[in-house]
Order: sequence, then C-alpha cells, then structure tokens
Amino acid sequence: MRFMVIVKASKDSEAGKMPGTELLAAMGKYNEELVQAGVMLAGEGLAPSSKGARIRFDDKKRTVTDGPFAETKELIAGYWVWKVASKQEAVDWLQRAPFDGGEEVELRQIFEMEDFGKEMTPELRAQEKSQMERVAKNQKGGK
Amino acid sequence: MCFMMLVIPKDYEQAKAGTLPDPALVEKMMKFNESLQKAGVLLALDGLHPPSMGSRVSFKAGTPSIKDGPFAEAKEVLGGYWMIQVKSKAEALEWAGRAPMLDGDVIEVRQVQEFGDFPPETQKHLEGFTGMQNAQKK
Repeated sequence: MRFMVIVKASKDSEAGKMPGTELLAAMGKYNEELVQAGVMLAGEGLAPSSKGARIRFDDKKRTVTDGPFAETKELIAGYWVWKVASKQEAVDWLQRAPFDGGEEVELRQIFEMEDFGKEMTPELRAQEKSQMERVAKNQKGGK
Repeated sequence: MCFMMLVIPKDYEQAKAGTLPDPALVEKMMKFNESLQKAGVLLALDGLHPPSMGSRVSFKAGTPSIKDGPFAEAKEVLGGYWMIQVKSKAEALEWAGRAPMLDGDVIEVRQVQEFGDFPPETQKHLEGFTGMQNAQKK
C-alpha cells in the first residue's frame, strides 16, 4: 500500500526561509535510507503559497485567488509518496524523520485501483493502466 | 516548470472511513486526466483516502507524537493531487479551471521547488535528490 506523507507549512517555509545545512544533511541521509529500503516513490518541496493560487469551484463559476493564503492552517510545504506493507510501517518510518521544530506531518493512504471494486470497469482499468504508462514516459522526458 | 494541483474537496475532513468518489465523478475525472495526459503535461496523480483513515505525527524537540484521524480541528484537507509540467502559472491555472470539481471544492496550485531555485551552498546537499524522486515503480 502507498501513503502520501504531507509536511505542513511553517512560518519559516511560508517566508521562503531555506532549511540550514545541518537539517539538509540529516534529511539527505534520511531520504537515502528511504530509497535504499525501497520505500520512497516520490518526493518534492513546494515553493511558498505566495507563488501559488487557489481556484474555487461553484457550479460553473471559477474564482481565482492568488497566494499567500494566510488564513489557512493547513498549508503544505512538501510531500513524499511511500510504499509500505502497513500504516504502522509508515508511522515507524515517519517517527525517524529529522524534524524537531514543532512540525506536523500527515499520513494519508493513497487510493489503489482495487479500492474502487466493480465500479472500475475493465475499460476504465485499461484506460488507467495506459495513462500510467504514458505518465511514466512524461516523467522520463525530464522537467 | 512544475506545479502541484492540490484538490481540497468540500467537507472531505468529515468523510467516513472507506468513502469513495462517486462513479460518475470518477468517469469525468478520467476524461480530464486523459486530456492532461494527451497534452503531455501530466507527471503524476493520486487520490487519497479520507483523513479518518490517516494519522498525524507532530515533532517537538525531536520527539514524535502520533494522533489518528479524523482531525477535528481541520477545516480543509487534501483529497488528491496532480503534478503537471507547464510553461507558466497561468497555464497551470487554466488546467485547474477545467477540472471536473463539485460545488464548493477548491484547487490550490503550488509551484514545485527545482534544483536551480536553491543557492549553490544548498545545491551541494541536494545532489542525488533528483535521482531519489520517482526512484521506484509502484
């Protein structure tokens, strides 16, 4: 099963303050362990919300608001995608993460094809499989 | 440049364990995914089970503490995401506006940090990071 590990934003991350050398080195070491254990599937950091935007959907109406989003407590600063055998394994890995400044990290299980049951028809499954293969090609094409 | 389109479904913070999206919505979503894919902008996408099936880990002075969901204090939670590669934030917003969302849903569009965004001092610690991303297949 896969989990999305969501790192919440802090005042520092929202201010664009970069982590110090010590934390970067500890994070590099931690990521290396995740990779070697075959747990890490993806990971990215996000620029502060001041460089982003939100779109709200009301019926046919679209409302775009530029960041920063000071009013929200649930902003995200980055994420990993992990492949593990259980939620407990994900919790165990996360407890070893080199955070120490009051950070909060959320673990959320990712939907897999089999979660959808019969509603996911063979046609939809084939479409999904084909899309994922082509998405992998996009990734190889570089950013 | 890469953008993450973060889906914040209305009231998803209250969703019961095992809640799944409506089949008709899944069908519309697959069409939208297909259009992203055909345009060559789609890098990754996932849907997330409700927070009632998740946990939060808080770190204070190096000590982690775990709290299982649902999270009563949360006013909005993530339901899924797309990672896209486009030429501008405007292009990302154009894609986000075409997503088949329900009334009251929100998509947050956030730029992804790239290697070149960091100063040289930081870059030397990030060497090898690109290789770690998408290192494994599901």
